[in-house]
Amino acid sequence: MAADVETLATVEALAGEKYAHGFVTDIEQEFSEKGLNPDVIRFISAKKAEPDWLLAWRLEAYARWLALDEPDWAKISYPPIDYQALYYYAAPKEKVGPKSLDEVDPDLLETYKKLGIPLKEQEILAGVEGASRYAVDAVFDSVSVVTTFKAELAKAGVIFCPLSEAVREHPDLVRAYLGTVVPTSDNYFACLNSAVFSEGSFVYVPPGVRCPMELSTYFRINASSTGQFERTLIIADKGAYVSYLEGCTAPMRDENQLHAAVVELVALEDAEIKYSTVQNWYPGDAEGRGGIYNFVTKRADCRGDRSKVSWTQVETGSAITWKYPSCILRGADSVGEFYSIAITNNRQQADTGTKMIHLGPGSRSRIIAKGISAGRSTSTYRGLVSVHPKAKGARNFTQCDSLLIGKDCAAHTVPYVEARNGSAKLEHEATTTRLSEDQLFYAMQRGLSQEEAVQLLVNGFVKDVLQELPMEFAVEAQKLVAVSLEGSVG
Amino acid sequence: MLKIDNLHVRVGEAEILKGLSLSVPTGEVHAVMGPNGAGKSTLSYTLAGRSGYEVTDGTAQLLGDDLLALNASERAAKGVFLSFQYPLEIPGVPALTFVRAALNAQRKARGEGEISAPEFLKKAKAEAANLKMDFEMLRRGLNVGFSGGEKKRMEIFQMAMLAPRLAILDETDSGLDIDALKIVSEGVNALRAADRSMLVITHYQRLLDHIRPDRVHVLAAGRIVASGGPELALELERDGYDKYGKAA
Amino acid sequence: MLAEALRSGDRTKLPGRRHEGWRWTDLFGALTTVPPLNPERQALGSWSVPIALDGVVVRRFAAPIQGGVEHVTLEVPAGDHRVVLDLIEAGQGRYVRDLAFDFTLGVGASLERLVMIADDADAVSVATTHVQMQARCDFAQTVLASGARRQRVETHVDHPGGAGRVRLDGAYLLAGARHADQTTVVRHLGRDGESRQLVRGVVAGAARGVFQGRIEVLQGADGTDARLAHNGLILSDRAEIDSKPELEIYADDVACAHGNTIGALDEDALFYAMSRGLPEAEARRLLITAFVGEVAERIRHPGLRDQALIFLAAQAEAFDGEGR
Repeated sequence: MAADVETLATVEALAGEKYAHGFVTDIEQEFSEKGLNPDVIRFISAKKAEPDWLLAWRLEAYARWLALDEPDWAKISYPPIDYQALYYYAAPKEKVGPKSLDEVDPDLLETYKKLGIPLKEQEILAGVEGASRYAVDAVFDSVSVVTTFKAELAKAGVIFCPLSEAVREHPDLVRAYLGTVVPTSDNYFACLNSAVFSEGSFVYVPPGVRCPMELSTYFRINASSTGQFERTLIIADKGAYVSYLEGCTAPMRDENQLHAAVVELVALEDAEIKYSTVQNWYPGDAEGRGGIYNFVTKRADCRGDRSKVSWTQVETGSAITWKYPSCILRGADSVGEFYSIAITNNRQQADTGTKMIHLGPGSRSRIIAKGISAGRSTSTYRGLVSVHPKAKGARNFTQCDSLLIGKDCAAHTVPYVEARNGSAKLEHEATTTRLSEDQLFYAMQRGLSQEEAVQLLVNGFVKDVLQELPMEFAVEAQKLVAVSLEGSVG
Repeated sequence: MLKIDNLHVRVGEAEILKGLSLSVPTGEVHAVMGPNGAGKSTLSYTLAGRSGYEVTDGTAQLLGDDLLALNASERAAKGVFLSFQYPLEIPGVPALTFVRAALNAQRKARGEGEISAPEFLKKAKAEAANLKMDFEMLRRGLNVGFSGGEKKRMEIFQMAMLAPRLAILDETDSGLDIDALKIVSEGVNALRAADRSMLVITHYQRLLDHIRPDRVHVLAAGRIVASGGPELALELERDGYDKYGKAA
Repeated sequence: MLAEALRSGDRTKLPGRRHEGWRWTDLFGALTTVPPLNPERQALGSWSVPIALDGVVVRRFAAPIQGGVEHVTLEVPAGDHRVVLDLIEAGQGRYVRDLAFDFTLGVGASLERLVMIADDADAVSVATTHVQMQARCDFAQTVLASGARRQRVETHVDHPGGAGRVRLDGAYLLAGARHADQTTVVRHLGRDGESRQLVRGVVAGAARGVFQGRIEVLQGADGTDARLAHNGLILSDRAEIDSKPELEIYADDVACAHGNTIGALDEDALFYAMSRGLPEAEARRLLITAFVGEVAERIRHPGLRDQALIFLAAQAEAFDGEGR
């Protein structure tokens, strides 16, 4: 079809330009020395005024990391990463952890304004009537710039602050939970993160408390040749509820930048955590130059009976995505959910999915994964559902669908299922199809433009997952989906 | 034939039947009517012996034998037949194979010999014809891809083949259009006999236009709260269940 | 890989956990030593096959005494139609065997194959088949397995597309501590190919069933229509089923799907059958036989189909008393 050729050409032209967050903030920054060695780790630890136990923990992780090999089982390929050519710490100069917004560098505020992230509480309050408020922790390279609504959250007993602050202010909580879900030596990238993690958010919701607003962290990589290694820890105590959202962007650069984060969630009895991600790291240009290498370990421990964790992710960015947000369903009748949209275009590669480990009786999980591949990209769903002998009556439902747009992309589905008891019930369905020309034609015959028709069909394809996002982010995510695929009809 | 006394049944945490008593003499057809949630399906599943329906008190006897002590297949061999509200699909098992296996198992349990293949086929063909069923349907996986009406017809076909003493028809009219309802009802009426009793469980009166009961009982909140002749069904149709209180 | 280990006597050549494709069928862990190759074979006799199975080539493979490696080829000339029954027969003891089959199908040829594999509970047994197809070929295979200490039947089909068709079915019924692995790889190389797979398994006792099925659609293989279903029943809390249905797609105009279900015997169906008078054990057997029987029903050759049904019924019979 001539139209296809035309639109494919359009998308190539658009690639690179359409990434709206690709600007660099010109700000004076402070770096660690280049490369990784015990002194760099001591430098990071000292910068954050950490207690000795945490430094020891980091150094031990570093020693273990040296002995590990980078994993090679994912369907992704990239040139070897030179871990000695990176900066492991970068921060805007002077104010680490400003006390109030007035102390925050105006350039930084401008950056977040440009990204559409409201940091001034009064602005948020004065915003659109009826719009729900959400608190933001803004992380810029290796440090948190500001956390909003802390006072109001504190009234409810909710702790929401940068992890480094939590280490100082709530050491017992951090020490009791840090590394208990993702142990230091869990995998190569988690181990690296444990050694050099710089910033991330800490959330603690006390027993019986329903967090009064959405919490969100906005991660921004700005400095060049710099890795971001954030670490997030969220604890929902008995009967607590929290909804948390993270967003991520980075400047357009020709070099590849490393992002190796760790997220740990702990849900105690009757607690519920809803964790949503809109990942829009710079994906690289049409030729595959630049873009973020996104190697992330995210895991939830549904420790308590009837606890529930729900992961929702919209992955449109990064040159390489390697992440498997998982649930250890330890509690009786605990529930794990994973809703994912992964979109790859141009030369992007994504290998993502989830693990649901059923240990508790009556535990249930649900996986809905939608992959869309366009351009010359590769998208892989990789998942594990494992039911242990004690998980009597465990249930899983998995649905993975892949949509292919164009001749040169690839989509893979690799679901592992291990069932070890006679009362479990597991169902898995997967389909791979192309964007239906008949449907496209039907919509266009009724008057929609090709772009609109594609958008309509893609929206239909990902609808089940978008529904799981908090309202205001669902709208944003839907736009992102449309932009990521602009013109890519096949 | 059937004598139920003070039956209490729990499903999970909830007590559904709360002291239900009911007698169906041999050769009679009784209807049990009640609003949604009254315990109609619980009654039929309890009588057929489905697990998960815990009898905490009371008795249920078939011709003097304790039904509750038996498992589902033993009850079937005694002559209890339940026509399911939602008949199961069993892929890979042709209906004929299924019915023949069931019939022979029942005969074996009663100390009778197996039915010969030609005799079985002859009977199956005759019964299928009575119910206006395409015989080829009986060679396909049981109920697989059947419409609601076809499934109900298949239930009555099985009832005819198995010739039970007590037939329990659980919401047999649900999902049937008027033509299918007629065929199914005619099938049921043809099976009325002096040595056979029937318990027709239904929400609506319309089935009873076709299968005329000797007695009508009203089931509400886990108990029989009223009994009467066929006219009671018409009264319920007119006045609804309100005067018997809301279901539990 | 097993053949290589048997030939060299080098245990480190055994496939095991560190190989992705063998993570659930660990031969390295199962064998502390590699038995020596021995050309002697045990006596045949585990199956009685009707003398005149009309138009079917019956091949019987006896178990080795110690280690055994065998390589078998079959060529179906262009336009020909063959029906093959491969009986991989049980021996006694801890023998280790590797059977390799190479099939070549000429243009327009068709081959329907039934593999029935039986082994001693202590044996380690691997049978691997590679199928090369030309245009307009039709290859249909059904593998019925009953397990061993470790047993694996692996099939690779290169599908050139065109009007060609592939059916790769299987069933396993495992009791005791038996282990059976069915692994398939279908590579769609050209346009408009069709493949269908149905694998069903039932495990009781402390048995372990493994199913791995990969559909690859290479670039240019547009119009591919590939479907795969695996359904497992677990009858005991000590039994296990591991499965990995994979799709690897490099073309866009495709319709590929896989489904995978694992669960217990349907209690509603069990009650339904019992309410019609079938005793529990018989009702279970009926449902199990029907469940795996659907695999046999897809066999076109009536004689082969009967053989498959007989085999499955006998296996289902063996489950009695072991279900729970």
